[in-house]
Amino acid sequence: MIAVGAASVGPHIFWITSRAAGMAALVLSSASVGAGLLISGQGGSGKGLRGDARAFHEALSLATLVAIALHGASLLGDHFLHPTLLDISVPFTGGYRPFWTGIGIAAGWALASLGLSYYARSRIGPTRWRTLHRLTAVFWILAIVHSLGSGTDAGQPWFLIALALSAVPALILLLGRLSRGYGERPGTPARVTEPRSPVRAGR
Amino acid sequence: MDDLHRLEAKGLARAKIRSKRRRVSAIRRRTIRGSLALFAIAWAIIFGQLVTGNDPALSRTHSTRKLVASTHRNKQAANASVRPAPESEEENAVVPVESEPAPEAESAPEPEPVVTSAS
Repeated sequence: MIAVGAASVGPHIFWITSRAAGMAALVLSSASVGAGLLISGQGGSGKGLRGDARAFHEALSLATLVAIALHGASLLGDHFLHPTLLDISVPFTGGYRPFWTGIGIAAGWALASLGLSYYARSRIGPTRWRTLHRLTAVFWILAIVHSLGSGTDAGQPWFLIALALSAVPALILLLGRLSRGYGERPGTPARVTEPRSPVRAGR
Repeated sequence: MDDLHRLEAKGLARAKIRSKRRRVSAIRRRTIRGSLALFAIAWAIIFGQLVTGNDPALSRTHSTRKLVASTHRNKQAANASVRPAPESEEENAVVPVESEPAPEAESAPEPEPVVTSAS
């Protein structure tokens, strides 16, 4: 039965791959945003844990970018939609749901450029980079809007549960961060005002 | 004595760096594994939906196809959508339905002259 089903599903293989990659990208980006907000909200406390969280955040971000690339690229092999490279890479040019898809493409490019800018932050300047990096949350929300607007599985319970489980905690963290003010980092004033001592520095 | 302390400090620093690298690579490995598992689970769910005929897009457009066949009784219209629109909007699905009868209406009179000329 599975073999028969697999044979009938054969022509849709690229479409399934794109949908699965989109779903994975959504969950991974939500986790990455959540981890990023946890790191930035942590301030200077727990240096070792912060390093681990940063590595986790970086790995999640890179995994998200791979999933986004797979989400778009696998559509190129789809025989039904048959999009061109232009359709999947330039926002608002495709024939299929141009608005919702365009939002997704724009969000994808923005997430990729903002994420990869981490490796050029010494050139950009740490303060400017941090300010730019905050925009990631905006494009993450746009990606969620894209998934709800043009996602095939947007109405499916499993999709909504996965989205809620991954995105709601990150959204709560983001709202908490926004209510506290983005400029304030807990622990930062204490570190600045307290006199430096070898004991504290080693902490 | 100072040299001994310096060596110890260097050794400690190296050990710390090594352990940090180990931790980071373990985190990366775990994240990659988790991401692959997530992708595989999503793929399996969507595949399952398609195999069992519960796919949201396919079931939606199957009904559209039936509608097309029943309203127009046109073989061409029924065969036109080889694969039901995966994520296509209702607008996209309706376009061929509405646009296809028009050429037929135009092409329908065409055989008549052929028939009359033959007879």
